Amino acid sequence: MTKILLRYLNLLVLTLLVVIVFSFTLGYLFPGDVYTNLTGLESKAEALRYLKVDSDAGFFSLFIAYFSNTLVGQWGVSSITGEPLFSEVLLSLPATLELGFYALLLAVVVGLPCGFFAGLKPQRSLDMSILGASAVMYSFPVFWLAMVFILIFSLNLEWLPMSGRVDLLLNVPTVSGFIFVDILLADNIDKGHAFVDALKHLALPTLSVSIITMATLIRAVRRSTLDVMRKPYIIAAQSRGLSSAQIFLKHGMRNALLPILPIMAMQVTTLITNVMIVESLFSWPGMGHWLLQAIYQQDYPAIRTGLLAVAGAVIVLTIIIEVLSRLVDPSREKFDRVAV
Amino acid sequence: MALLDIKNLTLEIDTDNGWIKALDKANLSVREGEIQALVGESGSGKSLIVRAISGGLPPQMRLTADRMTWRGANLLAMNAEQRREIMRRDIAVVYQDPLASLDPSVTLGEQLEESVPYEFVGKGWFWEKQKERKRIAIELVHKVGIKDHAGVMSAYPHQIASDIGQKFMIAMALVSQPALLIADDPTRGMEATTKVQILKLFKRLNQTKRLSILFVGHDLLAISSMSDSMTVLYCGQTVESGPIKQLQKRPLHPYTKALLDSAPSFRADLPPKSPLVTLPGTIPTLQHLPIGCRLGPRCHRAQKTCVQTPAVRKIHDHFYSCHYPLHTNNS
Repeated sequence: MTKILLRYLNLLVLTLLVVIVFSFTLGYLFPGDVYTNLTGLESKAEALRYLKVDSDAGFFSLFIAYFSNTLVGQWGVSSITGEPLFSEVLLSLPATLELGFYALLLAVVVGLPCGFFAGLKPQRSLDMSILGASAVMYSFPVFWLAMVFILIFSLNLEWLPMSGRVDLLLNVPTVSGFIFVDILLADNIDKGHAFVDALKHLALPTLSVSIITMATLIRAVRRSTLDVMRKPYIIAAQSRGLSSAQIFLKHGMRNALLPILPIMAMQVTTLITNVMIVESLFSWPGMGHWLLQAIYQQDYPAIRTGLLAVAGAVIVLTIIIEVLSRLVDPSREKFDRVAV
Repeated sequence: MALLDIKNLTLEIDTDNGWIKALDKANLSVREGEIQALVGESGSGKSLIVRAISGGLPPQMRLTADRMTWRGANLLAMNAEQRREIMRRDIAVVYQDPLASLDPSVTLGEQLEESVPYEFVGKGWFWEKQKERKRIAIELVHKVGIKDHAGVMSAYPHQIASDIGQKFMIAMALVSQPALLIADDPTRGMEATTKVQILKLFKRLNQTKRLSILFVGHDLLAISSMSDSMTVLYCGQTVESGPIKQLQKRPLHPYTKALLDSAPSFRADLPPKSPLVTLPGTIPTLQHLPIGCRLGPRCHRAQKTCVQTPAVRKIHDHFYSCHYPLHTNNS
C-alpha cells in the first residue's frame, strides 16, 4: 500500500514539475520581455533581483531560479495592480474550489440515488423519466443555462441574488477564502443572516455547474447498476434467499460504484472548466473570474500564474480521486502501475 | 412424497424469432433423501431447470408448468417473499461458475458469514453473534476440504483458484442446512482427487443428514457411482428417468442408450481400438428445433409418428417418452 501511495506521490510531483516547466516556457512565448513575463516587474534590474540571478544567466539557471521561486510562493506580481500574484491566487482559488465542491456534492447527492433507481427498475416509467431528464440536462450549455437562471430567478422573480458570494454590506472578513468558514470565524456580524445570504448567493451558480455533472453521473450510475444487477453473483445471492434490499445494499451498490469513481476523476476537469465559466457570469470572485480579467488586461504574469494554479489544483484533485478509487477497489492488483 | 415435483415445465425465451421453447414439458421429481442426477449434453437446458427452480428469471423468459411443488406447496402460486424463504432455508444452489457467483468486492469470509441464518447464531451481543458466525463458517470451510481457512476467508474471489472457489460455493450452499442441494456441474474442471473428495462429501451428507441432492452434470461415471436415480434431458425435453441401475441395464429411449454407449467406462465388452458409438449430427440450436420428439432427425429408430411429441409412459418407476422404445416389440 505504501508503495502505491509513493508511486502516486511520484506521479503527482513529476506532473506538477511538467506544469511548472510549461509555465516557464510561457514566459518566452508571451509577447514582451522574458524577465517581465516571469516576474511582472517592469525594470530588468528589479526582475533580476526578484529572481536572484545575474543578467548573464542562461536558460537553465533561469529555470532553476524560477522553479525555486515558485516553490516558495514567489510567483511574481501582477503587471496591472502590482499585487503579489500568490496572495491573489490564494484569495480566488478557494472560491473556485468551494463552488466546485458544492456542485460536485449536489451532483452526487442527487445523481447517485436517481441513477440507482433508474438502474434497478429499467424500462419503467421512473427510469424513462429520469433518463429523459438527464438527457435534457446533459444538452444544456452551461453559460446559456446560467443566463437563463439569472433571467428567471434573479431578474424576473427576484428570488435570488445574481452576483457575488455574500452581501457586501455584511462585510465578512476574508480569512480562509471559504465563505462559510469565514462567516463562522467572523465576529460582530449576524451569523445566521450571513449564512442564509451566502446560501442564496451559492444556489444559482452551484445549480448551473452541477447539472451537467449530475446528468453524466446519473447515466453512468444507471448503466453500471444495470450491468451489475445482471451479474451471476447477484443471481447467486438471490438464490441464497437474500432480500432485494440486502442484495442491493451488500452486493449491488458497492460493485456498481466501483467504476464510477474513475469517471468522477475525469469529470473533475469538466467541472472546474464549468465553474470558471459560471464564475464570470455570476461575478463570483474565483479563479475563472480573475483569469478572465487578467486576459482582458493582457496581464501576462497573471495568466501564467492562473494556469499554473488551475492546472495544479486539477492534477491534485484527480490524483486524490484516483487514490481513493484504488483504495476501495480490491480487484485492482497491488502491482498495477499508476496513471492519471 | 416427492420433495420437489415438477411436471410439464415449459420455459419460453423471447428472441428475435419469436418465443422459443427452451424447455418443453420437462418432468423432474426429487424424493426425500435421494441423489438424483440430471444428465444431458451442453445446451440441453440443465442450467435452465436450475434457474427455473431457484426463481428470479429474467423478464424475457416465461415459465409455465402443470405442477411445480416443494413438499406439496405450489411454488408457482407463492409470492416472492415465500419463495425467498424456501430458497433461504430449504433449497441451496451451487452454480456452474464459482468465481463469477461470488461478489468480487467482498472477502469470501464475509460472504459466507452473511449466509448464516440468524437462528443458528443464538442470542447475545452482536460481537458474540459475529464470533459464532465465524465459528460456523470456519467449521464449514473445513468440512468441504479447505485446510487454510484463514487464507481463504480473507481472500477476494479473484485471488483464489477455481476449485477452491467451487468448494467454497458448496460451503456457502450448506450453511443454511438445506433439505435439497442443487449442484450445477460442481466438479467441472477439478482434478481427480479433488473431485473424489467432493463426491464423497456429497455422499456422506446424503447418508448422514439425509440431504437430497440434484446433481446436474455430464460426468456419467461419477453419477453412476453415487446417484440413486437419473433424469436424462435432451434439447429441453426429458426423455427418460428412473432408477439408475435400471436405466443402465435396460435403457428404453434411444438417446439414453446412445449416451451410455458413448462412455467407454460402461462398456466392459468393448474390444480395444473399436470405434465408439455416437449419434449422427449434433444437438440442434434453439432456432432450429425439430417438432415432435426433438431427437427425431438424429434417431435411427424414428418413424412418421415421431413428429408428434410422445406422451410420457411408465413401467413401474421408470418413465420414458418415446414412440418406439428399445427392448419392446412394437416397432
